[in-house]
Amino acid sequence: MDQINKVLIANRGEIAIRIMRTCRELDIETVAVYSEADRTSLHVRYAHEAYYIGKSPSSESYLNIEKIIDVAKNSGADAIHPGYGFLSENAEFAKRCTEEGITFIGPTPEVIVQMGDKLKAREAMTKAGIPVVPGTKNAIKTEEEALSVIKEIGLPVMIKASAGGGGKGMRLVHEESQVVAAARAARSEAKAAFGDDSVYIEKYINSPHHIEFQILADGHGNAVHLFERECSIQRRHQKMIEETPSPLMTQELRDKMGESAVEAAKAVNYTGAGTIEFLVDNDLNYYFLEMNTRLQVEHPITERVTGIDLVKQQIKIAEGQELEFTQEDLFQKGHSIECRIYAEDPDNNFMPSPGKIYKISEPLGLGVRTDGYVYEGYEIPIYYDSMISKLIVWGKTRDEAINRMRRALYEYKITGVKTSIKFLERIMNNRNFIDGKYDTHFIEKNQEQLALSIPCEDCDDIVIIAAFIDYLDKIDKNRENNKEFAPAQSRWKNTPIINQF
Amino acid sequence: MAIEVKLEDRIAWVNLISQKDNILEVEVDGVVYKVDLMHTADGTFSIIENGHSYNIELVPHKQPKKYTAHTLYKSLEVEIIDAEARYLKNRGSNGFSSNENTISSPMPGKVVKILVNEGDKVKEGEILIIISAMKMESEYSAPKDGIVNKINVKNGDTIEGNQILIELE
Repeated sequence: MDQINKVLIANRGEIAIRIMRTCRELDIETVAVYSEADRTSLHVRYAHEAYYIGKSPSSESYLNIEKIIDVAKNSGADAIHPGYGFLSENAEFAKRCTEEGITFIGPTPEVIVQMGDKLKAREAMTKAGIPVVPGTKNAIKTEEEALSVIKEIGLPVMIKASAGGGGKGMRLVHEESQVVAAARAARSEAKAAFGDDSVYIEKYINSPHHIEFQILADGHGNAVHLFERECSIQRRHQKMIEETPSPLMTQELRDKMGESAVEAAKAVNYTGAGTIEFLVDNDLNYYFLEMNTRLQVEHPITERVTGIDLVKQQIKIAEGQELEFTQEDLFQKGHSIECRIYAEDPDNNFMPSPGKIYKISEPLGLGVRTDGYVYEGYEIPIYYDSMISKLIVWGKTRDEAINRMRRALYEYKITGVKTSIKFLERIMNNRNFIDGKYDTHFIEKNQEQLALSIPCEDCDDIVIIAAFIDYLDKIDKNRENNKEFAPAQSRWKNTPIINQF
Repeated sequence: MAIEVKLEDRIAWVNLISQKDNILEVEVDGVVYKVDLMHTADGTFSIIENGHSYNIELVPHKQPKKYTAHTLYKSLEVEIIDAEARYLKNRGSNGFSSNENTISSPMPGKVVKILVNEGDKVKEGEILIIISAMKMESEYSAPKDGIVNKINVKNGDTIEGNQILIELE
């Protein structure tokens, strides 16, 4: 395959910028695409070229395969990077790219199809000798069949949509009497969400850890893993914090799981960067959960401890190059943690909080990286994901990394919208988190402690004073002698963003 | 000059006693604070009180005299209640403020579905409207029994935060 000279990034937000950064380092030109709502988004401003592709809802823009292919052809892009979400795991898109002679930076359409169907993926893994969560081999047809399966594997179980993802079409069943209703509900939800109502049954793992392995595989039969990422801190089945190494991991288990991950990749002739997700129980048994055939949101922590730029590797693999390192060349140096900054209200059921960014000041200093895309005055659109930034820190040890994360979160200030920053700070101060004792139920189990904001009674009066003075100041502005409360350095009187009384 | 400042649910009585450049004496509910107050170029209030350093950022709302204040520890809703504000409040002419007879969404978004019509009788807790923002849907229900008086939006409309969507009688 030929060298890639121009990449179209079929995505938006922080990941589009993340990919463009590496492209700039590789002297590759970048093409951004944008929807109506994203005209002033940072990825549009960062790219070499930018093209409008449609209205704000993603179904009319970022999911419009033909429009994106058109832009790629007209702009002379020789490759497309899909990022994560949107079309990144859409086999039809990968196929259309190939048909048009455009390199799709990712695996083949066949692998995307195989891994996208959870039942097919389980079958492939079982064949390769990788443990899967005990459950049905095929979709269940009747409720009677469901009942007999449950007798075999024991309660509790999860009923899951075969085409599923994102927590949709999933039901947890504790008692036999719930089975019929749960299967019916999962089926109808799956039908609505994915147009496919087949469901299957899996044993429910109590107190599970969500641990995934990053893999890289080239087109020449070489595959390596880049160790684990612990992703158990989740809310609404969405990750909030990830770290590597996992505090649960032992070297023996790491070797075993890493080997399984590489075998899994080889079993399906995988190419590119991918992630094998496992569930790990308290007795350190692990089970294949699913494979993500794309770059993950949390990839930077792996980059931080291994020193490998994963996007760069994706591009090289897509160019047909061989991996330039073997498993023996790779090791984890120190500890890395990522916190996802969502525009949401953690004190109100994590309700989304779109709106205009008023002020932003990003953390800096040793061992800190931010991957974000919002800026002061930017209006976060209501149409897309609420993640606005990722904060990644590195430390020599886990303790140092936690302390550094706490410090970085203290420095990170975003106003105008509500964010998860203060909630993340509370997690960094949580005893169970500090001790590394957590599973996917962490947030619900520690609800009480995490709901407590640090008390500051004096703050209230000081806030009142600030508002009072601001008010007097605004009244005064019509008078001549208005200097008292607005020293010469104040610029805010002519700041249009502020509503004058 | 003394006025009232509403902070979340608390209404505080505030009075400026004296000032000399950036050194102020302010009374809040009977407690006198001597503060060194500077309004920095990045729009933050830097206040030093008895050796403690506070950074307070005020984000003004679209509605006049309302702010969201951000401190190191939390975010608070603040409202200045002066004579004018009190007058407007009593007249009820504030186009944004909500009360128990109105339904509004705290965040901007898009109307997914309106489940009632004007003139409908509704029961407390009955879902009236569904709003979507950032791939998540939120349902808003009637705060009390009543009759739907006015619906200000239609399906598919883009809405602002705190906009009044439905008015009950």
